[in-house]
Amino acid sequence: MAGLELLSDQGYRLDGRKSTELRKIQARMGVFDQADGSAYLEQGRTIALAVVYGPHDVRGSRAKIQHDRAVINCQYSMATFSTAERKRRPHGDRKSTEMSLHLKETFEAAILTHLYPRSQIDIYVKILQSDGGNYSACVNAATLAVIDAGIPMRDYVCACTVGFVDDTPLADMNHAEESGGGTNLALALLPRGGQIALLQMDARLHQDHLDTLMEAAMTACKGVSKVLDEVVRQHLQETVILTGE
Amino acid sequence: MLKYKTFVKKTRSGGILKVVREHYLRDDIWCGSEVCVECKDETPVLEKDPCMESNLCTFPHYLIPDTNVVLHQIDVLEDRLIRNVIILQTVLQEVRHRSAPVYKRIKDAIHTKEKNFYTFTNEHHRETFIEREPGESANDRNDRAIRVAVQWYSKHIPDSANIKVVLLTNDRLNKEKAEQAGLIAYKCEEYIKSLIANPELIDQLALTSDDKNEITSSKILFPEHLPLSQIQAGIKSGKYIQGTFRANRDNYLEGNVFVQGEGDESTEILLQGLQQLNRAVHQDVVAVELLPRKDWVAPSAVVLQDDGPKAEDDEQEEEEEKKLQMKQVAQQALKPTGRVVGIIKRNWRPYCGMLSVSLIKQATRHLFTPADRRIPKIRIETRRADSLAGQRIMVAIDGWPKNSRYPNGHFMKSLGSAGDRETETEVLLLEHDVPHLPFSQNVLSFLPKMPWTITDDVMKNRVDLRHLCVCSVDPPGCTDIDDALHCRDLENGNLEVGVHIADVSHFIRPGNALDQEAANRGTTVYLCGMRIDMVPELLSSNLCSLRSDVERLAFSCIWEMNHNAEILNTRFTKSVINSKASLTYAEAQMRIDDTSMNDDITKSLRGLNKLAKILKAGRIEKGALTLSSPEVRFHMDSETHDPIDLQTKQLMETNSMVEEFMLLANISVAQKIYDEFSECALLRKHPSPPSSNYDILHKAAKAKNLVIHTESAKELADSLNDAEIDGFPYFNTLLRILTTRCMMQAVYFCSGLDSDFRHYGLATPIYTHFTSPIRRYSDIIVHRLLAVAIGADSTYPTLMDKHKQAALCNNLNYRHKMAQYAQRSSVAFHTQLFFKNRGILNEEGFILFVRKNAIIILIPKFGLEGTVFFENKNKPSPKMVFNEEIPTLTVEGHTFNMFDCVRVTISLDASNIQHQKIRMALLEPVIPGVSVPPPDSEPEAKKMKLDR
Amino acid sequence: MAVDMRLPAILKQISLSGSKGAAASLVVPGDVITTDTGFMRGHGTYLDEEKLTASVAGEVERVNKLICVRPLKTRYNGEVGDVVVGRIAEVQQKRWKVETSSRLDSVLLLSSVNLPGGELRRRSAEDELSMRDYLQEGDLISAEVQAVFSDGALSLHTRSLKYGKLGQGVLVQVSPSLVKRQKTHFHNLPCGASIILGNNGYIWLHPTPMQQDEEAGGYYTSTEPVALSDREVISRLRNCILALAAHKVMLFDTSVLYCYESSLSHQIKDILKPEVTEEVVLQTRHRLADQEG
Repeated sequence: MAGLELLSDQGYRLDGRKSTELRKIQARMGVFDQADGSAYLEQGRTIALAVVYGPHDVRGSRAKIQHDRAVINCQYSMATFSTAERKRRPHGDRKSTEMSLHLKETFEAAILTHLYPRSQIDIYVKILQSDGGNYSACVNAATLAVIDAGIPMRDYVCACTVGFVDDTPLADMNHAEESGGGTNLALALLPRGGQIALLQMDARLHQDHLDTLMEAAMTACKGVSKVLDEVVRQHLQETVILTGE
Repeated sequence: MLKYKTFVKKTRSGGILKVVREHYLRDDIWCGSEVCVECKDETPVLEKDPCMESNLCTFPHYLIPDTNVVLHQIDVLEDRLIRNVIILQTVLQEVRHRSAPVYKRIKDAIHTKEKNFYTFTNEHHRETFIEREPGESANDRNDRAIRVAVQWYSKHIPDSANIKVVLLTNDRLNKEKAEQAGLIAYKCEEYIKSLIANPELIDQLALTSDDKNEITSSKILFPEHLPLSQIQAGIKSGKYIQGTFRANRDNYLEGNVFVQGEGDESTEILLQGLQQLNRAVHQDVVAVELLPRKDWVAPSAVVLQDDGPKAEDDEQEEEEEKKLQMKQVAQQALKPTGRVVGIIKRNWRPYCGMLSVSLIKQATRHLFTPADRRIPKIRIETRRADSLAGQRIMVAIDGWPKNSRYPNGHFMKSLGSAGDRETETEVLLLEHDVPHLPFSQNVLSFLPKMPWTITDDVMKNRVDLRHLCVCSVDPPGCTDIDDALHCRDLENGNLEVGVHIADVSHFIRPGNALDQEAANRGTTVYLCGMRIDMVPELLSSNLCSLRSDVERLAFSCIWEMNHNAEILNTRFTKSVINSKASLTYAEAQMRIDDTSMNDDITKSLRGLNKLAKILKAGRIEKGALTLSSPEVRFHMDSETHDPIDLQTKQLMETNSMVEEFMLLANISVAQKIYDEFSECALLRKHPSPPSSNYDILHKAAKAKNLVIHTESAKELADSLNDAEIDGFPYFNTLLRILTTRCMMQAVYFCSGLDSDFRHYGLATPIYTHFTSPIRRYSDIIVHRLLAVAIGADSTYPTLMDKHKQAALCNNLNYRHKMAQYAQRSSVAFHTQLFFKNRGILNEEGFILFVRKNAIIILIPKFGLEGTVFFENKNKPSPKMVFNEEIPTLTVEGHTFNMFDCVRVTISLDASNIQHQKIRMALLEPVIPGVSVPPPDSEPEAKKMKLDR
Repeated sequence: MAVDMRLPAILKQISLSGSKGAAASLVVPGDVITTDTGFMRGHGTYLDEEKLTASVAGEVERVNKLICVRPLKTRYNGEVGDVVVGRIAEVQQKRWKVETSSRLDSVLLLSSVNLPGGELRRRSAEDELSMRDYLQEGDLISAEVQAVFSDGALSLHTRSLKYGKLGQGVLVQVSPSLVKRQKTHFHNLPCGASIILGNNGYIWLHPTPMQQDEEAGGYYTSTEPVALSDREVISRLRNCILALAAHKVMLFDTSVLYCYESSLSHQIKDILKPEVTEEVVLQTRHRLADQEG
């Protein structure tokens, strides 16, 4: 009969969160030895794995070489078992190409590429399990991987999606909420300066609501950044202690 | 501040589906009780000393109903008496899935502060969330969740408070289990019966399937309904047809199923007989199966006038009789006939009506006769039959078991004694679906705070027009003045004319509760002697009412015109005005006519009047119709509110003056908003009627040797003007009344979804409603659109969404129609009251229509229409010849033509208290056996009715 | 074939108590290090509106007025004199491109190699044509950083007998930051194998050559089978290095040797099982600590 009630009168969402609450984020850096940087991130039940190679010499076509900065190459993919339906996902389908492009743009805004002329940085992200907010999970995971690789960045890039239900912004939507229709705004933010690395919205939204939505998204991103910050600092201290210096 | 635990549920169902779900369990959900010290709830809902006196629970307690109790006993829960109830989220969710109307009602109850209903979000609470155990059904799990929550409450509330929680459940198993766990659980009936304060509540208890003990003989009267799955399969395969059931107003054994086909196509399927109707109630969505062609029947053409309450005993007999009748008429053109196999969706609502008290004394089961004749009688259980007899009551249907002749229902509330002015008004409001409850607190909270002053902030985007000599002209006693006018000479010799409309949209901001309420109400409903406001009184009669000598916000439309009333320039602006005078039409007329008055207001009025005449002439030139309908006004007794006199409305020059400028403003605004928002402008159109509508008019005119041209509005207007008969001054009015009946209904629409914008009656290519935002919601929308167009306000999403706009238009059209019906019913009721006090009158009237077995007569003096029947149930019918061509009706040698003048007696037929009506009987011409003697003796018709 | 399966285990949290001192100098990208404009901006930092801000996660290093942030893990940043192990990626005109885990491929000029036939030989056009005969794609070499180009690429040379093409052995790749800078990076371990600890994190394990000075420049590769015992020693060393790297223990001859010795009680293949790794590394740490203390 009636669809799902995304936000109850008492202000609780389907999974028991309030409108501004994020899902639980857990992450680890340096999960692979072979890669220069890697990270594993769970944002609620969305799981993303990111690895970074580089900066290294530009492989393949020499035409890509930029003489004043590094080229960033992103590849997004989803595991066959990541969604409800098991589905073979060939490389380069429209959705993942688009997502790859978004990631590339996001990180070009954050990485100090001019420090590495003539080189290339590869960022590969894979969604192992999808429960909404794939883009933000990817960005957050990739940020950690980039930091792990020791590649200089202006700041973290934190991403979060925000939905809009009953005139209330819902932070960090899960799959059920995303498929409930309505607006879905994804924001990638450099939290300290508040610069926007990427802003994406598919559905139509009235401009009056944009401000509230943006504000909610910014708050959410800053919330994400706090968690990521903790993860990075924890990782740093662990490593420092272990290397014993 | 919050701890959470993550659950992941991964299930593989059916094929290979991975379900990933997350559930955060919180410990910051408060219990909502005032006595609790642990919870940091700032505004606890549940009271410290909940007192509901019950002899079962002598201690203070909170109630927790389970899902079925909420679903079935919502009427009881809504009662004022029931307070301090905890509604669990589990319950709320289940209710939401099972019944949208109940869900809405329980939500309303939760929002009502005085009821102290608290929603406990148990599913997200760390201690009350439970997982479904293997082998446990969803329902069992929910029942357990409810018990766990009850248990939690009983532990959680400190012992010192001495408050207990009581679980209300009708499920025996659930109750047993709860009692095993040491909880207090009662059946809903038990509990309600134990309430000391209000024994009447028992009547409101719905009959649940549990104790629906043999209400009628266990004989199965109806075929079983098919399960929904089977129906759906059947519909898919084309075996069954889905449609909306519409009961026949005049014959309870007959109904139609209206099947919406592709596009505008739609068909009707006839249903005849109780078996075929199979418990369908008016407006239900049903699945029907077509009968084989040989079983098709024709609709019974017999109009059964009065289907008064019958005793149960002669039901069977009567059915037989009816069936016989059917067979007799079955020779004519057959219609597709079917039978109901299942109900897809019940569309039950609470019904108004009266109790037909059972003949057996002390019986608790009674039949209820709804006011709407399309609704079957409903069996209810009450012990107060004696006090309820003669009262208008509301009843809800609970169910219709297959072994019961009538649906079972329960009493909801009493509206008052039948025939009472208040009660009848209430009934007609309910029956016409007019939202008339007082505005809720939530709505009122969006009103501006008093004392209200104009701040600088408000002045932004506003022009100060306080210096202008603005005045308003309205009917006497009008408190919601939404328009005011001014006219002044400009230096260049032209005239400046301004129409100032109350700026309601300034106070009603889009999307808030006030706005939603207004959008839902759609229009202010004017009944005789009362007004059902669309917006709260503070706005309608004060802040938005453009009263004299106060500063008010307005939306102004200002034209520069030359003396030939040609518009040179149009300007729209938000403004502040200060009306100099609130006049009535008569006062304004007096000022215009009184040559000795020469103040600014009068000069302004004269200027306006002059221009209005030119405008009107121009409009009529273009083919605008001047139509007529008999309108009456009651003079009310100021104390009893009973009508003491009846008067047809008088029209003055000033009426048309105001009207003229309102039309002009509406047209100007319509053009402006359409230019700005071609996709989402809210406009009003009046489609030209199909030529067949005019048949009756042609025939009528022909009877009087006149020709009416109806090819265009212009021709129609002209020929109406020319249609005069010497010595019959009322003829033209009659003709115009008749023309009005040929017209289509004017409707609101969204410009993006329609292509035909013409307003036929006003002969303008585009039209909208702008000038009465206090009483019409459409005008508020138009105001908003216009405000956006001139940059005075910001837009919002739904305003620009043409589909939402169209949905709104539908509601507005519906509300307008219902408001009109309600208004007419109100007039009819007051007419009845009037005649009740008058006794039997005898008056002159004109035949408006001629029917097969009756003539319809209009009494100009009262603007009253009535029917004179020539057939009576218990008398042989007189010889009647009906000629459809002219049309005429010849009764016993006397021929009735349209527009013939007759004399009739008028009396009130109160024999059926539910459907009182004005009865007319023929006096002149005298036809033996048909007409009645002059009214010095009791009229025959009335006596006859009373015999029954 | 026996398969070793194990259940996922919860990651052990490392106690961070007592490390507050270290934490103070740790920064993450976006952290403002100082607003004092008197400092000079070094690696791993950038100026954001007059504020010296970290761009990588790591430790702040202050040398007089110069502030740098050294990331914990990074690509190899070559310095002149570093010993590196690299793999030939490309053969170009008069030069080889060598993959050294640096940001850009390093360059080994034809003129910076010792060619057979003595140090003072001229490079002829013939040599240019036969470059592939000396080193071809995929070959591993050890070399020393001769210079750093402006874009950060390294120029290598093998003009010493200890450098040159590598023959039979095992390459282990670890993070460059784990290799401790030392006087010498060539060691003949007492356990019977030799190790080259490349500064770039490439570690080469090979059997200790019989005669030290067989053929200058060593472009000849012996294809003689290596004895099983040598292979076992090398395998054990490899696993030990990986174990140490997994636990972020700095790599140098002693740590590798200690680890090797600690691992002797386990089978070679078991060393990389997490619990064994942990045990072995812990023992190594203790021994290292003892030695220092």
